[in-house]
Amino acid sequence: MKKLQLLLSFVLLTFILSAQKDNGHFSGSFESFTQYYRKDDKINAVVPADKIGSNNFLKLDYNYKQFTAGVQFEAYLPAIQGYPYTLNEGKLVNKYFKYNTQNFSVQVGDFYEQFGSGLVFRAWENRQIGINNALEGANVHVSPLRFLNLKAIYGRQRKVFEYANSNVRGLDAEIDFSKTGKTTPTTRVAAGFSYVSRYQEYTGPIVDFPATVNATSTRLDIGGGVASVSLEYVYKNRDPHDANNFDNTSGKAFLTNLTLAKNNFGSIVTFRTLENMDFRSERESIQSIGLMNFIPAITRQHDYLTTNIYVYNAQSMGEIGGQIDLFYNAPKETGLGGKYGSKFSLNYSTYRGHNSMNDLFSFGDDEYFSDLNLEWKKKWSEKFSTILLYQHVLYNRMVIEGEPFPDVKTHTVVLNALLKYAKKKAFRFELQHLATKQDRGNWAAVLTEFSFAPSWTFYLSDLYNYDVTDTHYATIGGSYTKGGTRFGLSYGRQRAGLFCVGGVCRFVPAATGITATLTTTF
Amino acid sequence: MDIKYNNLPPLACSIYSTIQVMKKIITAFSLLLITAISFGQSDLPATKIKSLAGQEISFRSLGLNSDTAIIISLWATWCIPCIQELEVIAEQYEERQKEVPFKLIAISVDDSRTTNRVKPFVKGRGWPFEIYLDVNSDLKRSLNINDVPHVLIIKSGKIIYQHNGYVAGNEEVLFEKLKANQ
Repeated sequence: MKKLQLLLSFVLLTFILSAQKDNGHFSGSFESFTQYYRKDDKINAVVPADKIGSNNFLKLDYNYKQFTAGVQFEAYLPAIQGYPYTLNEGKLVNKYFKYNTQNFSVQVGDFYEQFGSGLVFRAWENRQIGINNALEGANVHVSPLRFLNLKAIYGRQRKVFEYANSNVRGLDAEIDFSKTGKTTPTTRVAAGFSYVSRYQEYTGPIVDFPATVNATSTRLDIGGGVASVSLEYVYKNRDPHDANNFDNTSGKAFLTNLTLAKNNFGSIVTFRTLENMDFRSERESIQSIGLMNFIPAITRQHDYLTTNIYVYNAQSMGEIGGQIDLFYNAPKETGLGGKYGSKFSLNYSTYRGHNSMNDLFSFGDDEYFSDLNLEWKKKWSEKFSTILLYQHVLYNRMVIEGEPFPDVKTHTVVLNALLKYAKKKAFRFELQHLATKQDRGNWAAVLTEFSFAPSWTFYLSDLYNYDVTDTHYATIGGSYTKGGTRFGLSYGRQRAGLFCVGGVCRFVPAATGITATLTTTF
Repeated sequence: MDIKYNNLPPLACSIYSTIQVMKKIITAFSLLLITAISFGQSDLPATKIKSLAGQEISFRSLGLNSDTAIIISLWATWCIPCIQELEVIAEQYEERQKEVPFKLIAISVDDSRTTNRVKPFVKGRGWPFEIYLDVNSDLKRSLNINDVPHVLIIKSGKIIYQHNGYVAGNEEVLFEKLKANQ
């Protein structure tokens, strides 16, 4: 691998130097997230010795005809509080070289990839939660026939600034039956098959220990103009490791979606059940390190202060449940829509355990989570519009947090109003209330925001737990944007809790201080 | 700067040191930006994205070389400002197209947690846009975009304007740019 790196750097350098003459295309991005922490006894904020945390990402790409090459440099000076690992250094972590044509591509170096829905394999990056499990190796895509797409991957997974001590290989094939004939039918039928295998040396005493773990995924997608159905079944060989408490049984998952979408109306029903699906590049990895597959919580991803307090985390050891969504657009000049139109959406999700292990399609008695929410968006005039949201959540603390406390049941109401009082000036406010008899009781929140398009915004928000802890989590901030560059600065308190993106969560400790963010694209 | 670090009140002190760190970052970064601009030109990536029906298509083959301006919006179903922006443009779509010829292509960066919600969501909002999916953020990465919403105006294969984030009124700026580059 060392030799590969050297070779790669050399190819990259000659490539960049030669491409300059021929007007290749250079692009990149930079992102910095810096926090300065202050002591705050009220919320038990832990101040690190250095008082500062700063995560920085610089990405550079060079494109010349069919060739692309790039690098990513990351500097943690040191890593922000609550990041899944402690780091105080910078490193050139990702390097890649890619050759890409219509029906063939090959990438050597660090790459991201996803097979199917990701239940069997996903290499991805999310800087907010500190995930980067790119593989270092080779990734080949070929379409030998019009209806056939093949992918082959080989490599070792990135583990923070190191690499996992294992090899990962995989194959994925997708056949699009609607392209096999001469005419293209209106309904698309496609089938997919994936195979992923991980080998990590085992030198322990157990005879017959699975050093190699194989997983497969079989998929079918049928899609028409109005209705579509997708099915996926994943099977993983027995894989005892730390994160599944050395469970020696195999893993299974089944996922299906039914979608209906016509003009002004859309609906989707999802059902998923899984058992022992934690899949890692190293047996010793825990938390969000070394994830090989992607098991998101299939629930609505909320974005308000109060709707993000009780968030579900998918239980990869076993859960069964699903989600239903309904979207409706009441057009302008109709009874329900009024003069300017209205939008309605309803979402419900529920998850519970199985009756017993090895009973994939059974519904157990223990409910883990449910979320029922209704949203109504209404435009009242050219200047004024509102969003009204109601949410009811059941949150099983014992299962989700592992704490022996009773279930939390909440009722939340959010009003988000926007007054666009001039062509490029607007005032937005949010009023929120979460009511519950459990845990820390009721919360209220207010947010006001002034914006001057396209550059300036200023906001002031307060999330207030008035019931049990009598604590304000107030924040004041603003941002300046110009083109692809944005700079933001804020000061305030950050609530301790699970911070989740795309179904992967990290625990963010309570903190008070200044946060500065800079992001740019060039 | 000659400020005595210890004499400052705590808040000012923390602002000061945050700014110091940011300053270093910005200086290093501006140097880089200058070199970048000196030989930068906008070439569009051939990254594969998916249609709502699941078919793979190259970003380059979206007809971006046409003389008609195309707005590319990277958005997600969980992103409130993204939805606000697309909602506002959807309302004025036909009206504005009469003033300046353009079309909008909305590319969702929803990952497989929410990918399947995109189609019913768009239909249930009555949006008139062409929609594509960037399921594992491959296009977002190759365009070097960090956050959504992010809009690009592309004309004759060149990025002529881009903007990160959305606040009410940004659409006015977008239409001004379209008119100016007609």
